[in-house]
Amino acid sequence: MDIKKVLNEVTKEIEQSSSQQELQNVKVAYLGKKGKITELLKSLKDLSLEEKKSSGSKLNLLRIEVDNLIKNKFNDLKIEEINSKLKNEYLDISFPPPNSIASKAHPISKTFDEVITIFGSMGYSVAEGPDIETDFFNFSALNIPENHPAREMQDTFYIDDKDKEGKPYVLRTHTSPVQIRTLLNQKPPVKIIAPGRTYRCDSDSTHSPMFHQVEGLFINENANMGDLKGTLIEFCKQFFNVQNLKVRFRPSYFPFTEPSAEMDIAYEIVNNKIQLGQGDRWLEILGCGMVNPIVLENCNVDTNTYQGFAFGVGLDRITMLKYGLTDIRSFFSGNLNWIASNGFTIGEF
Amino acid sequence: MKFSYSWLCDHLETDKNANEIGEALTNLGLELESLTDYSEYSKFVVATINDFRKHPNADRLNICKVDDGTNTYQVICGANNVKKGLKGIFAKDGMYIPGTQINLKKGKIRGEISEGMLLSERELNLSDDHEGIIELLDDFENGTSAVEALKLNDPIFEIGITPNRGDCLGVRGVARDLSAKGVGKLKPLNFKKINQLEFASPIIWNINNDDNSCEYVVSRYFKNVNNSKSPEWLQKKLISLGLRPINALVDITNYITIDLGRPLHVFDADKIGKKLDMRLANANERILALDNKEYTLDKNTTVIADGNNALAIAGIIGGDLSGCTDDTKNVFLEVALFNPNSVAQTGRSLGINSDARYRFERGLDKNMVIEGLEYASYLINKICGGLVSKNIEAGKLENFEHKINYNFDYFNKTIGLELDPQKQIKILKDLKFQINKSNEKECEVLVPSWRNDVKNKIDIVEEIIRIYGYENIKQSVPSASIDEIDKIDNSSSNKKFKSIKKLKKTLISNGISEVITFSFHSIRAQEILKGDKSLKISNAISDDQSYMRNSMIFNHLESAELNFKKGFKNIQLFEIGPIYNSSQSQENILSLLISTEENTNSIYKSEEFNFYSLTELTSILISSLNFDIKQFNISRSTSNTYHPGQSAELFMGKKLIARYGKVHPLIMEEFSKLKNCYAIELFFENLPIDSISRANNINILDSQFQFSEKDFSFLFEKEQNLYEVQRYVKGLDKNLIKNVEFFDLYVAKDLGDDSKSVTFRVTIQSKEKTLEEKDLEQLHKNILEKVSNKFKAKIRS
Repeated sequence: MDIKKVLNEVTKEIEQSSSQQELQNVKVAYLGKKGKITELLKSLKDLSLEEKKSSGSKLNLLRIEVDNLIKNKFNDLKIEEINSKLKNEYLDISFPPPNSIASKAHPISKTFDEVITIFGSMGYSVAEGPDIETDFFNFSALNIPENHPAREMQDTFYIDDKDKEGKPYVLRTHTSPVQIRTLLNQKPPVKIIAPGRTYRCDSDSTHSPMFHQVEGLFINENANMGDLKGTLIEFCKQFFNVQNLKVRFRPSYFPFTEPSAEMDIAYEIVNNKIQLGQGDRWLEILGCGMVNPIVLENCNVDTNTYQGFAFGVGLDRITMLKYGLTDIRSFFSGNLNWIASNGFTIGEF
Repeated sequence: MKFSYSWLCDHLETDKNANEIGEALTNLGLELESLTDYSEYSKFVVATINDFRKHPNADRLNICKVDDGTNTYQVICGANNVKKGLKGIFAKDGMYIPGTQINLKKGKIRGEISEGMLLSERELNLSDDHEGIIELLDDFENGTSAVEALKLNDPIFEIGITPNRGDCLGVRGVARDLSAKGVGKLKPLNFKKINQLEFASPIIWNINNDDNSCEYVVSRYFKNVNNSKSPEWLQKKLISLGLRPINALVDITNYITIDLGRPLHVFDADKIGKKLDMRLANANERILALDNKEYTLDKNTTVIADGNNALAIAGIIGGDLSGCTDDTKNVFLEVALFNPNSVAQTGRSLGINSDARYRFERGLDKNMVIEGLEYASYLINKICGGLVSKNIEAGKLENFEHKINYNFDYFNKTIGLELDPQKQIKILKDLKFQINKSNEKECEVLVPSWRNDVKNKIDIVEEIIRIYGYENIKQSVPSASIDEIDKIDNSSSNKKFKSIKKLKKTLISNGISEVITFSFHSIRAQEILKGDKSLKISNAISDDQSYMRNSMIFNHLESAELNFKKGFKNIQLFEIGPIYNSSQSQENILSLLISTEENTNSIYKSEEFNFYSLTELTSILISSLNFDIKQFNISRSTSNTYHPGQSAELFMGKKLIARYGKVHPLIMEEFSKLKNCYAIELFFENLPIDSISRANNINILDSQFQFSEKDFSFLFEKEQNLYEVQRYVKGLDKNLIKNVEFFDLYVAKDLGDDSKSVTFRVTIQSKEKTLEEKDLEQLHKNILEKVSNKFKAKIRS
């Protein structure tokens, strides 16, 4: 029996196999139940013990070698097959995707969030009030009587429906009615901010019939104007992210605060852009003051014991300033292009 | 309020320049809105065109030889009024031209050199006139500065006066405040009283109104006056503020209104009756006013009338027929005190904004009534001559007297600053407040007659800090107390904003953008969505903003259409904001809109968005608020905003939690560009705030044992609520049944009209062991039996 001959023969056949099926046929022809090598192994039983020993081990080695050769060839054929299959699976990776637009949060959302966080770190909790207000909460309780010229400072929207006093409901012209609602509900100390929608009948590039404000109110035994100043400067530093911030407080008038002030921050024009913090021009940022004792008395707060301050900030305005936006009307246009270019991704929000 | 520097100096002796005064005004609370100061124009000078010739290469240009007193320049000029000998204003190479906002540069124009420019009024920002270059009529020497030649040496201040500071609606009041701030010294009013009051006025007064709208009126009759043009000083003052001089009598009243803040009125005495009434108007009484408009009055309007004719609307505007003209010979001067409230009311209802109304409604200085009368008499007499009558009056002029008890410590407590009582008193005295009694702790303050806004001790504090300077308030460092942090943690509004933020993040990560739209509905939207009619805005700006919205869907469809027109095919947007059910009921909800187009892209194919995609999105949103959509009761929505067969409502008890579905085709008729629109309204305020604001950390314990899945198919009644089936199956063995997932729904004729075939997969897993075959079989059998019994369902497999 010529083992070498068989090995040469089978090696040749394995190498010539070009598919897994052909290889499988070779495997059956040599190692299958009736395969040549299997038959040779079977024929051992007719031999003498000594011949069994010498031929047996040689035949076994042959069987193992052939088995390995087939396994290796199988592996090669599989890789070859996959590779040739892959060639048919090539896609046009340059086919452009349809246009898509980033989904983002509105800049006002970001500002709301920052305002709540910054004032939260100073101990202010959030309070809310309705957009449709009574004359009492929006005006009279805030020391703005009827026919007072101060009413003309704000162009009020009126609703057809009338309240219990027979006066038409108004769309709140400021967030200040939340001061009254809170003080009537809650004994001092009170430290709240009230962000929300406000309305005035006015419409141009800097005025929108609907806009946003945040009200602040701090009433306790000794909150004074120095605290007011410190609070608002700290807020602006954090909100505008400017540590070196030049500010100016100047006297103003609001019926519900006394003394009243407006806060300006300095700016300069650098490369045609507003840069906040320094310079010799001023931008009005907010109105504030010590709560007028008349207002506290309207809310049954004992003015011999309690005092404090209030402020109101236009959120659209500070958002525009912070991000260099120029037209308030675009805030409310629902234009997704605008949101995509000026809004905030989930990571930024 | 506008005034010039020189006018201010009529009342204030000061060495401060316009900029310093401007800054002081702002620091006083009289905010400087603009300061028009032309001092930098002194670089421009008078120059003469000595000669000119046509430009060889341009028909409309001339080449001028211009002499500025020092040199001669060649200037190319396109103005049509170029002529030899013209004196104009000249700008040299390198100078900044304010009107065009450019720096002048020497260069060639069409091949000819130009070394400067002759300026128009527009190029100097003096007016819009650009018809030609400035032509000076007076004979100034070449080289004279433009400031001198154009009389621009008087800066104009424009300041904002807050409603409480009626006293500063006169130049004198502003000067008085500045003097208290230490900017200068207030000069005494410079005029002589008329001593010879010769005769009794032939016209008399009668106050005959029942609403006390006129407290007092005083008049004088001027006989034989000569009313012509005002003297130059008076005309110049008015012109400097952009007012048009009319005639001496009218100019004098306008002048005193601005100078003292004291409105007064002159009647042509020959055009009015002998007895004047201060009375309420008759209903529908008409008057032609000085602004050339006819007004129809009502019973709340106070008028000045003779016999049957209304001559003037009290405190607001005079009548045209009784006004003074150049021919006026006899004059009746009226100085009155009108009630601020009634003037404000009348002015507002008639829509008249006059200088008089503006001042009356802010309250006038009572002590200025007689002074105003004297001052006006002096000027009329001086300018127009004639004889002056004795006073004729009606009503009673009460003295202004207001005392405030003030303790010095109140300032310190309010401002957070120790200010010595003597310093406080000094400031009050500078403001002309009188200090009656005082000790170390307190004093009695007598408020000056022009400060009717100072009512309480807090107003005194404001006066002191206003003069002392807000810049001197020491800022303290804000902080949060433990109590306050605690309040924030427990505040339901804080929790709500937290939940809203979570919701927004979920929405954005699902590819949906946030918009903010107006809280309004158009008339059309209101008609279609049938909101509460009483939510109409009485004074709406436009039809688009006529009602308060009861839904956001219409606004969002409008946004979607806008974006569609910008080329977007698939639009996904949301808003979290208020909707209004009535004047007293507003709720904040999430509303989102998805508008999809048929996908025609053969490469990038995406699944069609349908009701079930929407349900899945609703489920994701509800999960982000720590709830499971399947725990709510589901029913078809009855809202006419939605497709009745493809919309659902989720309830928790009686509370509506969500409503979602395809937008009703009838609404879509309004938005022809849009195809498939789906909306979700999530009423998150109806969910318990503590649950939704919790951080999402649901503990799902993984079991290590093998799980098994088994599919079940049943034939249910067509309207069977599958949420109920799901809850029921889950409840059959809470320990072993981990999940029940519906994955097939089959409705067809062969099943009959009132059945549906539904398949769901039940996942079974124990936390304690690997279940044996017999346990599983028992459970499967149980599910089959119980479900078919409970829901009268046929088992299909």
